[in-house]
Amino acid sequence: MSSQIVTTAIEIEHVVKRFGTFTAIDDLSLSVETGEIFGLLGPNGSGKTTTVNMVSGLSSPTRGEVRVMGYDLRTQTRQVRQILGTVHQETALYDELSAWRNLDFHADLFGLPGQQKKARIEKMLDLVQLSDRKDSRVSTFSGGMKRRLALARALLHDPQLIYLDEPTLGVDVQSRRALWDYILDLQKQGKTVFITTNYLEEAEALCSRIAILDHGRLVSLGPLTELKQKFGGSVVEIETGRPFQDLGGMRTMTGVKLVEQDGLLLKVTSQAGYQIVPQIINIVAQCCEIRNLTVREPNLDEVFLHLTGTALRD
Amino acid sequence: MIREIVYQLRVIWACARKDFRVALTDRLFTILGLFVPANVLILMSLFVLAGGKAPTAVVMQDRGPYAQAFYQAMSQAHSFSLQITSAAEAERLMSAGQVVAVVTIPPDFDTSLQQARPVQVGVEINNLNTDFTNDIRRAIPLSITSFYTNAFPYLVSVTTRETDLYPHDTDYIPYLAVSILVIALMMGGMLQASTASAREWENGTIKELLLSPASRLAIMLGKMLGALLVGLGSTVIVLTVLTLLLRVVPDHWLEVFGFTLLSLLIFNTLGTLLGTLVKQRMPVIALTMGISLPLFFVSGAFGPISFTTPLLQGIAKIFPVYYQIVVLQHAFHSFSLNTYGLAGNVLILAGYAAGLILLVTLVLQRNTVSH
Repeated sequence: MSSQIVTTAIEIEHVVKRFGTFTAIDDLSLSVETGEIFGLLGPNGSGKTTTVNMVSGLSSPTRGEVRVMGYDLRTQTRQVRQILGTVHQETALYDELSAWRNLDFHADLFGLPGQQKKARIEKMLDLVQLSDRKDSRVSTFSGGMKRRLALARALLHDPQLIYLDEPTLGVDVQSRRALWDYILDLQKQGKTVFITTNYLEEAEALCSRIAILDHGRLVSLGPLTELKQKFGGSVVEIETGRPFQDLGGMRTMTGVKLVEQDGLLLKVTSQAGYQIVPQIINIVAQCCEIRNLTVREPNLDEVFLHLTGTALRD
Repeated sequence: MIREIVYQLRVIWACARKDFRVALTDRLFTILGLFVPANVLILMSLFVLAGGKAPTAVVMQDRGPYAQAFYQAMSQAHSFSLQITSAAEAERLMSAGQVVAVVTIPPDFDTSLQQARPVQVGVEINNLNTDFTNDIRRAIPLSITSFYTNAFPYLVSVTTRETDLYPHDTDYIPYLAVSILVIALMMGGMLQASTASAREWENGTIKELLLSPASRLAIMLGKMLGALLVGLGSTVIVLTVLTLLLRVVPDHWLEVFGFTLLSLLIFNTLGTLLGTLVKQRMPVIALTMGISLPLFFVSGAFGPISFTTPLLQGIAKIFPVYYQIVVLQHAFHSFSLNTYGLAGNVLILAGYAAGLILLVTLVLQRNTVSH
């Protein structure tokens, strides 16, 4: 790494990853800035984990380049590993050992100086509120506790870049909130966080920018607000007294992108912003009683569905 | 530079200590690792003991000095497990399948010999098992020859003058015990190391190792040291059984320790390689068993391979097990089973160890996770 300040934490340039004849990643280019929480979204099999494995040096791209904090992953893998903290989906903890011994082993692997080791382990266990269970075997921990311990382990050697693969998968709501708070704190400390997730709520709560992958290709990249704008202006949800009949007419209106009806609930997605809303209300009111009306921005589910043609959990 | 060396040494020790602790918490595998080698040793010894001497009933219808001398000749033939019985008891034992043969020394044995008349010794054989049957068929004429040599030395003009290569004879069990020690080390070392490596892949903890800045060589050496520490436990058990139970006491204790450690290192490396390639515990256990037994049989377990065909000798020399048997036979019985000399055999084994360590490191270096 050069002595100048690095502003780009991860640079992926025209990366292709093939397994035999199967192309898992197809010409992917993106960059993650230092200090941001970056989300990588995509349905199962879209190439998220493959991307992350390449970023962490667990596998090499078939073509293209990956740089982490200015280091070339092909030639400076060791330097990258020194500054990278990872929490994998399966946590990769030694269930047979205690929480303390898991962290102690990690500290030795990363060469933490002996005098710092104990203090650092204690601090990390405090941070994830597992000090009282430090001598318990990890096999006795709940899913949430394991995630917290894995996070403590990832942070133990004070990495600059933290990669979290589905950080709250299988975690109860309360623990999820706590984990989100830890992750947001990391950003405040100037760390870069790279997240893959299937939870849209999580991406919305944490990520400053999002990349959406589908079939190994980058479908969209940008701040969430920008993605929503790209998708369209607004969503109008109208609860009617009886089912609205003229769906065909509504669909031909200029600016209307999608019309869906589910029982008495009519959902109209427009690209024309809020200007079209009075017209829609007018048309519906002519044939039905309007009981409830909501006008809102599209959520990430809708953006995702629009971009990939599939729901996120497919 | 020194800092780097200290760091890598710390990684080696951390990996060894971690694997040792994990192995101890995994009771099933600890028991497997500790007692399978000892179990193999005991089983193989029982097999040898069971197949060593044919149980034979002797009906002494004559108790004269020649009859007694003939019985002595049989008892010194190393082929019979003799018991003197009545004719009725002998028949009962034969019917019950408890003896392989009944040898009947006739009532006129001494008288006939004194009068230089032919004597017929009755031999009834249960020819259910040709191995035992042929033992009896070979041993009875040998006993007669031996009897004649002792009883009528002036009549026997052709005798043997034996010159021994070694100062003392070695029984079959002490000879075989060394090969059994090698298979016990092989099973124990390979089982421990292969399951320790495969466990990392099965549980996903390999990512913790692969994502660390530690060198692959240090990680591998640490894992092998961990397996070695566990393997030492089973080695102590096996050596205790050998020396205390089977009374096989080595001629050179230091060689035993040194060659045992070298053998464990090689088997641990092979196990680590297997575990890293297969990545699942159950298949590596089956493979370890499947590899160990043929290697045991082909590598001169029952006798020097120089007594076998050139093809078998060529096959045996490909694998380290052969050289391990050679050096440990020297450690236990001072035997030289080939012409390479002790140092030559040790060098070959050291070469195997170094090559395998390099291979495992390369395999791990090239190993990436799925996806």
